[in-house]
Amino acid sequence: MSTERLPLRVWLLMLPLLIVMLTVIGWPLIDTIRLSFSDARLVGTGGHFVGLHNFTKMLSNSYFHSAFFTTLKFSLWSVTLELVIGVLVALLLNQKFHGRTLLRALLILPWALPTVVNATLWRLIYNPEYGALNAALTQLGFLDSYRSWLGEPGTALTALIVADVWKNFPLVALIALAALQAIPNDIRAAAISDGANVWRRFRHVTLPYLLGPLMVALVLRTIEAFKVFDLIWIMTRGGPANSTRSLSILVYQEAFAFQRAGSGASLALMITLMITVLAVAYLFIMRRLAGEGR
Amino acid sequence: MSTLELHGIRKSYGALETLKGIDLDLQNGEFLVLLGASGCGKSTLLNMISGLSEPTAGEIILDGRTLNGVHPKDRDIAMVFQSYALYPNLTVARNIGFGLEMRNVDLTTRKKAVAEAAEMLQISHLLDRKPGDLSGGQRQRVAIGRAMVRKPKLFLFDEPLSNLDAKLRMEMRSELKRLHQMLGVTVVYVTHDQIEAMTLATRIAVMNGGQIEQLGTPAEIYNRPTSRFVAEFMGAPPMNILPTSAVAGGLRLGTTKTVWRCHHPASEIVVGIRPEALKTKTIAGGLRLSGRVELIELTGPEQIVSLALDGASITASLPAEEELRLGQALDLYVDTERLSAFDAETGLRVEITSEHPKA
Ligand SMILES: Nc1ncnc2c1ncn2[C@@H]1O[C@H](COP(=O)(O)OP(=O)(O)O)[C@@H](O)[C@H]1O
Ligand SMILES: [Mg+2]
Repeated sequence: MSTERLPLRVWLLMLPLLIVMLTVIGWPLIDTIRLSFSDARLVGTGGHFVGLHNFTKMLSNSYFHSAFFTTLKFSLWSVTLELVIGVLVALLLNQKFHGRTLLRALLILPWALPTVVNATLWRLIYNPEYGALNAALTQLGFLDSYRSWLGEPGTALTALIVADVWKNFPLVALIALAALQAIPNDIRAAAISDGANVWRRFRHVTLPYLLGPLMVALVLRTIEAFKVFDLIWIMTRGGPANSTRSLSILVYQEAFAFQRAGSGASLALMITLMITVLAVAYLFIMRRLAGEGR
Repeated sequence: MSTLELHGIRKSYGALETLKGIDLDLQNGEFLVLLGASGCGKSTLLNMISGLSEPTAGEIILDGRTLNGVHPKDRDIAMVFQSYALYPNLTVARNIGFGLEMRNVDLTTRKKAVAEAAEMLQISHLLDRKPGDLSGGQRQRVAIGRAMVRKPKLFLFDEPLSNLDAKLRMEMRSELKRLHQMLGVTVVYVTHDQIEAMTLATRIAVMNGGQIEQLGTPAEIYNRPTSRFVAEFMGAPPMNILPTSAVAGGLRLGTTKTVWRCHHPASEIVVGIRPEALKTKTIAGGLRLSGRVELIELTGPEQIVSLALDGASITASLPAEEELRLGQALDLYVDTERLSAFDAETGLRVEITSEHPKA
């Protein structure tokens, strides 16, 4: 990358955009920081400066802890499953067979659906009275009686993870498929005649080509999963018994349901910080990969 | 001792027949070059020898063993690709030793073999690098090393030098020739470059449309092409082809006044003259072609001169020292021994004997 200083002209050209960005992103951010140090409420007057009180209170709050671990669990499971399933599906769709083009087109469908639609769809599937999952499992003999998948603390988070994986594995699969198609045929042929079996061909030929693009998918998906809000809000609203309350849901409840704008803002800032750490860590890894993969 | 036999190899993709019956018999230590234009089926043939694809019909025999249906890794054949096909995440050393590693050869034997090959290819100092850090020529050496360590019965090369620049290509060409002479291995080498074919081959198979048009030593292919296709494919600048018409006691070249006194068949004949067979000095018993200099291209050691004849144009490679001017009249002479004659209809070579005037 060039480290040359940008000439003044470039800054001037960017100025209008910079002003817009600063007003729509910079100002709210500064206001959030200001709020996070106050006991302001959603309605009423500005509130008083309370120092780090909001932060210390949150960090010792058990709601915060459980929301953090719920978010972590959700992110780890959904991203891992999306990567594994995505790669497997990509490997499958990279094979030659009849109807491959149709399947490739269909693959995009879950990902193209808006989250609201996907969430509503899965709520119907999980419905305790007429949901397809209950019907299927009872008819196949796996289940004696209908269950409320989203209504039980033991299964709600898993049900959400499944819905999220269903929606987002196609993105990973598409990225992986593009990477697979970029593998030169000659290398595969060379590995075959060198006597490499299927696993070693995957390990030494396929994987090196997949790794970079998969890192990108991993970054995107982890950050998005960590911010998850709409899917949970539509399917469970954080329940039952707060078992699916993610950090974003907690922020929403704190700031809007309980109208505590100050502590809500402090919470939002902490999430932003965590995601920034994730993003920087991944950028670092990607840079190293880019440095190696020449 | 490795001999390769191909019997009636055919390959079809759907209704399209890419190879239309290939027969070859390769002796131990031979360097066979498959030469042909892009798309004539060279790679297809090579892939079937290596086992990456199976022929639709025909038999492949290596050292008396039928290879049809044998897995590529069990064929004892190593292939070098145009794109190098190195494993990007492995070091040069592991790339070279990969075939041995996959065959579970122990580490010390492997290391020794890799070091030996690297030494021979002068890439010992690169063993710890990744392919991404190497130049094209170095990568191709690694690819050759990877084939060498396996000590295969047969080496296959698919246009290995096509991705290199001109200077490097020449260097690697000599390198390959040196390696072949040193190791005495059997090689099938695919290229569309006739210079590569001429310099490397012990025998050349010129391919055309899925068939072998001519099989012979470089000298045979060049001097006695069995068809007009081979004649025109080999040589740069290409061979001049002139139509003829029968006159009393010989053939008249084009619409010129030049007559080749010879015994010729009744069929229509075209005559081929290599540009370097044309001279400015009189040749006893030779033919004279008179024309006007139309174009001069200096290549360094020689000049390529286009000569406008009556209604035709021929190209001559003349020594650079000859002083020529555009538009000047020029007489060129050719020894009739160096003429090739082809049937205008079938394109096949016709042997024609000259009638020498009593001196
Ligand atoms: N897998 C394939 N499917 C269909 N046609 C093929 C396939 N491989 C090669 N061909 C056809 O066979 C012909 C010869 O190809 P190839 O052997 O690669 O030519 P060359 O190596 O001489 O340039 C080409 O016309 C190509 O389109
Ligand atoms: Mg080819």
